[in-house]
Amino acid sequence: MFEVKLPDLGDGAGDEAIVSSWHFEEGDEITEGDDLVEMTTDKATFNVPSPRRGILSEILAEEGDVIKVGEVLALLEEE
Amino acid sequence: MPQPQRKFPPWIKKRLPAHPQADRTRDILARHRLNTVCRSAQCPNTGECFARGTATFMLLGNTCTRSCRFCAVEKGAPEPLDVSEPERVALAASEMKLSHVVVTSVTRDDLPDGGAAHFAAVIRELRARMPEATVEVLVPDFQGSRESVRVVVEAGPDVFNHNVETVWSLYPQVRPQADYRRSLRILKTAKELKPQMLVKSGLMVGLGERPEEVEEVMKDLLQHGCDILTIGQYLRPSPQHLPVVEFLEPSHFERYGEIARRMGFRAVASAPFVRSSYNAKAVQKEANSK
Repeated sequence: MFEVKLPDLGDGAGDEAIVSSWHFEEGDEITEGDDLVEMTTDKATFNVPSPRRGILSEILAEEGDVIKVGEVLALLEEE
Repeated sequence: MPQPQRKFPPWIKKRLPAHPQADRTRDILARHRLNTVCRSAQCPNTGECFARGTATFMLLGNTCTRSCRFCAVEKGAPEPLDVSEPERVALAASEMKLSHVVVTSVTRDDLPDGGAAHFAAVIRELRARMPEATVEVLVPDFQGSRESVRVVVEAGPDVFNHNVETVWSLYPQVRPQADYRRSLRILKTAKELKPQMLVKSGLMVGLGERPEEVEEVMKDLLQHGCDILTIGQYLRPSPQHLPVVEFLEPSHFERYGEIARRMGFRAVASAPFVRSSYNAKAVQKEANSK
């Protein structure tokens, strides 16, 4: 199982962001580089791409949740 | 804990790199104990730039003696000047294999020269260790000191940048301790001292300025020897900072860019996510090709 973590948004912003929307649902097949989830900080919206391919097995951050950099957003089951 | 979502127009969206190689950049910066304006000012392009292996070094500590209301850099009592910083910047820039090095600083009104000699020392270290690299400085207004500008210019940067940041009428709200005319004079002094050096400035839009005022700034900058212009969308770093009055559509940035080029700037970068040092190498190249 691969843990998709919130990468460093680089904009400081207390190093956290809010989950605004998921582009996929649990069970969906993900290709490397697909935009997985949209996050917002005080300054902008960020699309977080998937660093791997696999099945999106579990979403661990719900829309509206505040996530810190490095926290796990979702689990990918690698084939 | 869920929080109210912030809403941005669709064009205020960045895509993070799928494979962030930013760790290497971050390691180098940490090892050499360097600040970057990228992180300190919470720039939304940081992920993109760090992944490309670039960064803008911020000299003279992480604390600014001014309290501009758009800026996320820490304000307060500044740190002691560290004489090892010029060498550390040059070592990091060389390790990062930068071909165009951009250095800026916090404003240090507490130092008699505003930090000009420190800038000059950084330029000299960079020249010594990286003779092939071009150097761009983004300096504070040195409280209008011609002597400080001279010290920096004589060290020989390729690009001398000082941002006017906003239109004249918004200075009291945006840059209360600065002076529009004084900033223009800094640019003019630099150009007069070394006409072949590129002079650059930039401003944020979306703070409530009128388009005519932006065009006024362009004219003023050209009259004061400015070659390169950057225009970007102001984005509020936190609820404690000035609110965004307007998110300008990308077409408005293009329009400003066209106007500026027609007026005579040698290079213009105008887009929502343009920041003063964003893509600085390409912008300098464009200016040099004219």
